[in-house]
Amino acid sequence: MRKGQVLFCLLLIAVSGFAIFSASGWTFKAKLFPLSVSIPLLILATAQLLMILFGKEQTNDSAAMDIDFATDVPPELVRRRVIGVFCWIVSFILLVFLLGFPVTVPLFIFLFLKYQSEVSWLTSIMSTAITWGGFYLLFQWLVHIQFQDGAIQTWLGM
Amino acid sequence: MLDAFIDGLFLVLQWKAFSLMLVGMGLGFCVGLLPGIGGAATLALMIPFIFKMSPAEAFAFLLGMHSVAATTGDITSVLFGVPGEAISAATVVDGYPMAKKGEAGRALGAALMSSLLGALIGAVALALAIPIVRPLVLTFGSPELFMLAVIGISCITSLSGSNARGQIKGFAMGLLGLLVSTIGQERQSGSLRFDLGLMYLWDGLDFVPVLVGIFAIPEIIDLAVRGTSIAGDRPPENLSSGVLQGVKDTFRHFWLVFRCSIIGVFVGILPGAGGGVAQWMAYAHSVQSAKDTKDREGFGKGDIRGVLGPGAANNSKEGGELIPTVAFGVPGSGAMAILLSGFLIMGIMPGPDMLTKHLALTFSMVWTLVIANIITVILCLVILDQLAKLTYIRGSLIIPFVLLLVFVGSYTANGQIADLLVTLLFGVLSYFMVLFGWPRPPFVLGFVLGKVIETYLFISMSRYGFGWLTHPIVVALIVLMAVVIAYPYIQQRRQSAAGVAGA
Repeated sequence: MRKGQVLFCLLLIAVSGFAIFSASGWTFKAKLFPLSVSIPLLILATAQLLMILFGKEQTNDSAAMDIDFATDVPPELVRRRVIGVFCWIVSFILLVFLLGFPVTVPLFIFLFLKYQSEVSWLTSIMSTAITWGGFYLLFQWLVHIQFQDGAIQTWLGM
Repeated sequence: MLDAFIDGLFLVLQWKAFSLMLVGMGLGFCVGLLPGIGGAATLALMIPFIFKMSPAEAFAFLLGMHSVAATTGDITSVLFGVPGEAISAATVVDGYPMAKKGEAGRALGAALMSSLLGALIGAVALALAIPIVRPLVLTFGSPELFMLAVIGISCITSLSGSNARGQIKGFAMGLLGLLVSTIGQERQSGSLRFDLGLMYLWDGLDFVPVLVGIFAIPEIIDLAVRGTSIAGDRPPENLSSGVLQGVKDTFRHFWLVFRCSIIGVFVGILPGAGGGVAQWMAYAHSVQSAKDTKDREGFGKGDIRGVLGPGAANNSKEGGELIPTVAFGVPGSGAMAILLSGFLIMGIMPGPDMLTKHLALTFSMVWTLVIANIITVILCLVILDQLAKLTYIRGSLIIPFVLLLVFVGSYTANGQIADLLVTLLFGVLSYFMVLFGWPRPPFVLGFVLGKVIETYLFISMSRYGFGWLTHPIVVALIVLMAVVIAYPYIQQRRQSAAGVAGA
């Protein structure tokens, strides 16, 4: 966890450093606000890094006002599940790029339910049909969102 | 005045206006539940349908839809940790942890009842403020609006861990949010900043893909990791009593709800501040209302006050936003700008006429806010038990549908695949923020307020040089900001002193 903290601080230092470097070449009006934000960010991230490296262990008072992740799952299982869900998310985006939303939505829902959630064929098909119907009614028929064609349809000239 | 007030009610209760309001409410309900499709976008889509309506019917339809979207936006925030609207993000922070503790019914009951009270307070404020609001709005120029946004940023002290390291993390995240808000074309000089050579970034990052990524992706990953339902393996609560408990909580913390509603009205009145700011300021105020640091610890982990404050402010700001829109034709937000076009389509010019010739129509808007919210909350309370049961469905069955909502929602921002990548990028960043204990609320506050702060700072500097720092209201706001920043430390010191005395 300490290694992760250090890496996160280094990321912030890199981002603020990049911002300062980029902004230094801009006009006064353009650079004033980014510089007045990124310089203190660099200082705070560096201070935090030094505290992590040379300071005492964190107390509960420094805990973020935010949600806590599950702690009762073995770390190896956590890693596997995080990578698993991350792969599903990336696959979804990739499918949208290749096939467009109207095709991806039923395909993704079906594949996820059948192979990740391991539900029956009937439930998978029924849920997919209902979701696709809802998707079409709400987003295409009612709200008229224009979904781009996927790259494959474009290549095929469909 | 009283005649106009009653005439306004009858205008809304005419069968055609009332029916159109119900249709608008139905649309608003769906839109509120869907992340990304904001109330403003739907208002724009529905504008062409009002051409054949009378003014009272048109505003019943449009306002009925808009006010309900703000209310139901909290439902997905609580149930799945996905903000239904960009302005519902603060409800996620405590609402979703409550759902994870098996208290979804209670959180939803509290969110809806506080929304109702907020909407009522906003409507009353609209009715009362119209004759007296002119001096208030006119005294708030760009320096005062800049200072108000800075006060919003100073709320970071309340949204971060209480010791030095927690505060450093909070401020660093706030600054990162401000920095991210500077991406894109600079409005004053037209220079491109941090665009990485991508045309997509010229307009800056849209709120929806960023906020949805920040809040939804870590929750989805956590749900997948736990391998249970959202409420975990806890025995199902008595959902009916949970909802009732939430309603009772609203009245138990009535003064908090009232204060947060006033914050919502005030922020709503000021053009450009936006609903997201109102919600986060109300959330910060809820945190500040904690008696001591121990009492504060529950925030972010499922404290009912963290649901009540944002819920109330979210809806009261609707009434607040209508005040400058109706009285001066100055829209307080994007949605109000679209509503303003509705005025013009109806052949009505906002301004003094709305307080004399069209006073009954103005009051019909107040009544629409009241009636639409009452009907929505009553209907929602009836179906809340069923909605709360969703948190007991196996997580792996929920995830594909939530992912669908998240990515379709973010896609609606610009209609580009890049929106999905932005959601993913900020989702991954947010996951590591939660993992390593860096708070997300300050980041969101910085991101939401960044553009407002920069714009008003430039206008103030161009117009007054440094002279604006001596404006009386600016000085008063600087003092207020100092109090906001110092309050958590004073509270901590007082608690330590009490601890020493007790020992």
